[in-house]
Amino acid sequence: MNRSGLTIIIVGAGKVGCTLAVRLTDEGHNIIMIDKSEDRLNDLQKNTDCMILHGSGSSHETLEEAGIADTDLFIAVTDSDELNLLCCTIAKQFNSNIATIARVRDPDYGNEIPYLRSRLAIDMIINPEFEAAACAARLLFLPAAISINTFAHGSAELVRIRLPEDNMLDGKDIAYIGKNITNNMVFVGVERGEEVFIPNGSFVLKGGDVISFVSSRKVCLGFLKAIGYNTKSVRDTLIIGGGKSAFYLADQLIKSGISVKIIEKDPKRCEYLSTMLPKATILNGDGIDSNFLEEAGIEDTDSFVALTGIDEENIMLTLHARNVSNAKVVTKINRITFTQVINSLNLGSVIYPKYITAETIISYVRARQASIGSNVEVMYLLLDGNAEAIEFKVKEESSVTGVPLKDLNIKNNVIISFISHNGKLIIPTGNDVISVGDNVMIVTTQKGFTELQDIMR
Amino acid sequence: MNYKMHLFVTGKVMIILGSLMAIPIVTGLFYQEADKVFIYIVTALVTILLGILMSIKLPVNSKIFLKDGCVITALSWVVMSVVGCIPFMLTGEIPNFTNALFETVSGFTTTGASILTEVESMSHTSLIWRSLTHWIGGMGVLVFLLAVVPMTGGTNMNLMKAESPGPSVGKLVPKVRATAKALYLIYLALTVIEIIVLICCGMPVFDSFCSAFGTAGTGGFGIKNDSFMSYSSLIQWVVTFFMILFGVNFNFYYLIVTKQIVKGFKMEEVRAYILIILGSVAVITVNIFSLYGNVKDALKHSAFQVATVITTTGFSSADFDTWPTLTKCILVMLMFVGACAGSTGGGIKVSRLIIKLKSFAKEIDSYIHPNNIKTIKMDGKPVDDGMVRSVSAYYFVFLVIFTVSLLIVSIEGHDLVTSFTAVAATINNIGPGLALVGPTANYSFMTGLSKWVLIFDMLAGRLELFPMLIFLYPGTYKKSLRSKISKLVR
Repeated sequence: MNRSGLTIIIVGAGKVGCTLAVRLTDEGHNIIMIDKSEDRLNDLQKNTDCMILHGSGSSHETLEEAGIADTDLFIAVTDSDELNLLCCTIAKQFNSNIATIARVRDPDYGNEIPYLRSRLAIDMIINPEFEAAACAARLLFLPAAISINTFAHGSAELVRIRLPEDNMLDGKDIAYIGKNITNNMVFVGVERGEEVFIPNGSFVLKGGDVISFVSSRKVCLGFLKAIGYNTKSVRDTLIIGGGKSAFYLADQLIKSGISVKIIEKDPKRCEYLSTMLPKATILNGDGIDSNFLEEAGIEDTDSFVALTGIDEENIMLTLHARNVSNAKVVTKINRITFTQVINSLNLGSVIYPKYITAETIISYVRARQASIGSNVEVMYLLLDGNAEAIEFKVKEESSVTGVPLKDLNIKNNVIISFISHNGKLIIPTGNDVISVGDNVMIVTTQKGFTELQDIMR
Repeated sequence: MNYKMHLFVTGKVMIILGSLMAIPIVTGLFYQEADKVFIYIVTALVTILLGILMSIKLPVNSKIFLKDGCVITALSWVVMSVVGCIPFMLTGEIPNFTNALFETVSGFTTTGASILTEVESMSHTSLIWRSLTHWIGGMGVLVFLLAVVPMTGGTNMNLMKAESPGPSVGKLVPKVRATAKALYLIYLALTVIEIIVLICCGMPVFDSFCSAFGTAGTGGFGIKNDSFMSYSSLIQWVVTFFMILFGVNFNFYYLIVTKQIVKGFKMEEVRAYILIILGSVAVITVNIFSLYGNVKDALKHSAFQVATVITTTGFSSADFDTWPTLTKCILVMLMFVGACAGSTGGGIKVSRLIIKLKSFAKEIDSYIHPNNIKTIKMDGKPVDDGMVRSVSAYYFVFLVIFTVSLLIVSIEGHDLVTSFTAVAATINNIGPGLALVGPTANYSFMTGLSKWVLIFDMLAGRLELFPMLIFLYPGTYKKSLRSKISKLVR
């Protein structure tokens, strides 16, 4: 896996930009960060091995100085959607081989993204707010889960749940589930306190464990029902904060018939939201006021989503909601980096938009780096970043195709979670075969796989 | 403070240092100096072994904050100097510890101030080791470490920041390791070219190696008692040329190698550096014309001396102590200008002078137009206030260290010129000063106290003052030491 890294220019040293710089440097790429603020650049360089360049990402002089001609990938993640699009367009003028990624968040562009992509020749447009909302929506459809990641265009899911203390699986091993409940799923990880395990058949589960498994939605619902979970979607939700992600979330929930209440401080924003989302109830007031929340019905709501722009407020709101109601709670955290503290607070489901963006871009970078044989489709970080779940698209014959899995010499720390063959999800056994055109998902504790052959010893 | 990491990096530095002793060992074998070779082999093996023990495992927490970077750098340089002086003592060539340390620190810091009265009687083994210390110290051993030892983590830049000369350190390429590699490749290539050119000009092979090491690190140890006076004019011109080259910011060469020539020549610092050299050479040539009687010799000697002083090398092709006062004044002033930032030279650095002159102009302007807002620019880019402030602080700290050192050295009771230039020539890493410490003299007559002060000055000057100060400042360790001790007690 000792390929030399790509040269990547990132414009905008904000939350997402810096997360990307750190992650991509760790993956061995050469990062050049452009920003207008020297302070932010210096802060970044204190703990990241990347090059910094003070200037505007849309100026051709700065781009030339950054060496745009020899750059493989260009990522624009400044605050302004328009600037991001402009930067990518200018970058493309210099170097037509460069791949460009722009962040565009404003709902106004929502329907125009395919148009922009093709007209401006931008390879990828990401919308972290939209992704965060989609992530929150999935959790509200299946409130039992702590987090849900989707694979194979939604036909497979990686679901993380917490086993209650007195659950029927307490003290049972993984093989018991296979024999008595279903064998159409793969367990990929168990978190117990600070420890993380990749379980095998004889692994014994305990109450309080957080378990992750991969399966289709149907099997997942069956399994959760069998072990005593309520698998119904929520009926209503209370969203605090009326920002972009709140809009995207409300939009999706309303479309699937969930009633939505949004609390927003700014009256102008409320008016805008009520024109854009006629079916939602928009309340103008301060979400941090407990009386106001009570009036809004926090005690009876099925679910509670804290999406304000201030992380501390979101955390406090969630803790409050857990206290006064039984609602499913989802918290958005933008900036705070004290992951350990957050985990110990037991906030339930936490969404990190900056990580979602970073994951999306890193899977794109890995895919670009790989040879043509196979391609990374999506990549998620699991188990507190200790493992990666990667879905590959198999494009060509290679050493892993056409051979029964039991005859492949696969690395110890790799689990093949599913093979999607012609749209059919196969939970693999030793006799299954990977063929061209399949999607294969693996979970591994080794970082940096860029193609499927990397699983071989 | 990350003490485990301090130990780890220092261990790695010792391994590198021990391995580099292979060069004097090979030289000694060639000249059949068996007894000397034996001492070097033993020192090298012990150093490497100790280094391996110290750096056996990379600490889990490998974060190096800026203060750690400063302490590690200063610590490595002190350890390096102590280890480097052991062979001199064991071979009996410099038996006294203070003298041996002075000579080694002078070598690693690329000063070139010697306490040897009789250089030519040294063994070849020790002579090449003495010159090699210049080469190692020129680009810096930690930069070398970053180039060869794979260390992950984004905080390694703090090591490079602490060791590299100049007010700010820019990267040539995104990765620290690749930057360090590029710097060393340029350094090595230029050194090899110089060795070849010198051999072609008729210099003996051994002399060529030693002189090239001395020039490359802008050090100044000669292997002849009269430095460069007895070599041919051609060789003197070649050395002049290479000294000037090694005093240029290495970013310039990187730009040239990557075919950005126009941008390279637009670097304000390089332009100013060349202009200062040309101006000084012109004035001195006129001033010493009557001494030599012809333009050729006057030009040659003035160019050589200007190059040797501004790049802080410290060779000499003539005894400039006997030159007119104006010339001597210019040379002493050049000592305080120094070479470019990011070169192997010492001194205060041309870029600091430029920034300071520009803020001087800005200050005057602010009296004429009090509400005028003006940003200082360098290479067309704004220099932020923090940088301007740190340059001012640098000048003041420099002044304080200089004054205190001068006071202590003057206890000895030598004349002002001797004391002043001795401190100036060591803190700026030049080597020879004027009067008693002039180009034909040496530092052996000084007392132990003065030598220790000058040793500190050389290290402080090479590491750009602050790492040495932070290393010695008790507050750097206070809190973490106290917490460590209270943990132990509990």
